[in-house]
Amino acid sequence: MTLPSPGRVAFAALVGAAFTLILAPVVMVMVISIFRQEIVSFPPEGLTLDWYVNAWERQEFARGFITSLQVALLATLVGVPFGTAAAFALVRAKPRGGGALNTLLLGPLAVPGVVAGTALYMFYLRAEFWLDRDITSTLEGLVAAHVLLTIPWTVRLVTASLQGMDQAAEEAAANLGARPFTVFRRVTLPAMRPGIIAACLFSFIQSFENLELSLLLVGPGRTTLPVAMLNYLEFRVDPTLAAVATVQILLVAVLMLVTDRFVSIARTV
Amino acid sequence: MAALVLPAGVLVLLLLVAPMLLLFRISLNEFSPTQMMVEATTAANYFRAVQDPYYRQVLVTTLAVATGSTLLTLGLGFPTAYWLARMQGRWKSFATIVVMFPLLVGNVVRAAGWLALLGNGGAINAALLGLGVNAAPLPLLYNTGAVVAGIVAVVLPYMILTLSAVIEGIPRQAEEAASNLGASPLTVFRRVVLPLALPGVIAGSVLVFVLCMNTYASAVLLGGPQFKMMAPAVYDQFVRGNNWPFGAALAFILLGFTLVLTVVGSAVLGRCYRR
Repeated sequence: MTLPSPGRVAFAALVGAAFTLILAPVVMVMVISIFRQEIVSFPPEGLTLDWYVNAWERQEFARGFITSLQVALLATLVGVPFGTAAAFALVRAKPRGGGALNTLLLGPLAVPGVVAGTALYMFYLRAEFWLDRDITSTLEGLVAAHVLLTIPWTVRLVTASLQGMDQAAEEAAANLGARPFTVFRRVTLPAMRPGIIAACLFSFIQSFENLELSLLLVGPGRTTLPVAMLNYLEFRVDPTLAAVATVQILLVAVLMLVTDRFVSIARTV
Repeated sequence: MAALVLPAGVLVLLLLVAPMLLLFRISLNEFSPTQMMVEATTAANYFRAVQDPYYRQVLVTTLAVATGSTLLTLGLGFPTAYWLARMQGRWKSFATIVVMFPLLVGNVVRAAGWLALLGNGGAINAALLGLGVNAAPLPLLYNTGAVVAGIVAVVLPYMILTLSAVIEGIPRQAEEAASNLGASPLTVFRRVVLPLALPGVIAGSVLVFVLCMNTYASAVLLGGPQFKMMAPAVYDQFVRGNNWPFGAALAFILLGFTLVLTVVGSAVLGRCYRR
């Protein structure tokens, strides 16, 4: 698409606006994390790293970070294998009612997280009454809820990678004498790899940053990082939160750049 | 082999379908200030939700903000996705990471960034005052515009990634052929790129619309106390009001509007270009 110059300018302006909207708040958070004054205002009265010390001393953020990490890892570990198996069966076995099953598995994406969150909260309270044990504000309860995020993303991404695959390669391997399991291990699985990696990445992201689904399911001492941040922000806006966020931003950036060394992120999505 | 669907299917039935059925049952109950919830079969909660002017306003605000944000996201996301899809080499990788990594940062953090940017002592107002453009700070925060900016920033990466995956599959030759045959860039976009990218446009818009209807942090933190959307209203009923039946009815109204609008929206979009 070669655009004439007014069109080119408009195109560039839209792309620029999109990147500004995406990046401006993230950059701003990093900037205010070193402002000295308690109430954020420009220009800064001076610069300090005290807020990082304060963030470290406030247990809620460190604990929230660890909880979020645990929940995201466990939910990914449960959801990705189950979701991958389901996507594989749906694409290859084409079972009767496959369309309905696909809709069911992608269902959590169509239900607003708030609705699913309140439904789960009610369900957990009922189950607690029956089973006579805690489920809300436990790690298991949070992980189970977040599996609802990881399954649909996995089904969606792995299905896409399977549909794009040429089955002739499998037939060729089978004709050359490979056993069905060898065909799966040496041909099918490698072809699914980008889809599975993308599924792991997106599952982890979805779980780690989730707020709406978790809001009612967290409890004292068992709070995820986004909920801990929201609770803090509802009462005060000082740079402590910005310091926590900056550490998180830098960790995430390093993690993604390192991941990109091994698998090209641009090619997985 | 079809049995491999079972584990995931059972999990979704247990963790989504069963809780939703329970929530629907609760929405038909009655609220009593002393016993909290009384078994009943009544649609009174739904009637109250649509008749009460306050909740009707909340619903209208939510629908308007979600629709507007989705369209804005599509308008900004499409050119960016196109640009990303047609990029080559190392820079493409870098640009993809730049688009994706704010997702991991979460929307609460980004709301904090907007607070620092738009507040009375924020970066924009400080710059305007410093340059002498304004005598007093502009009220940039705690209004619909701030909420929409917050939402669009949160959902843009989803739109861009969904669209660029589809646009990458459109062969360049198709565009070049149209352009060689004398089509203007706008015609190439309207008649070649857009129809071929339509599945991505629908998938991205549906995903983004659901996320917009679900807005919580941006509404609470950037909209201020006067600004109400459905998601915080649902939570308020469960956490502060303790009126579970009414909260459940609100949740189902939110779900109903989300489902109907996504289905109707995709059908209309699909029909527009099936010619």
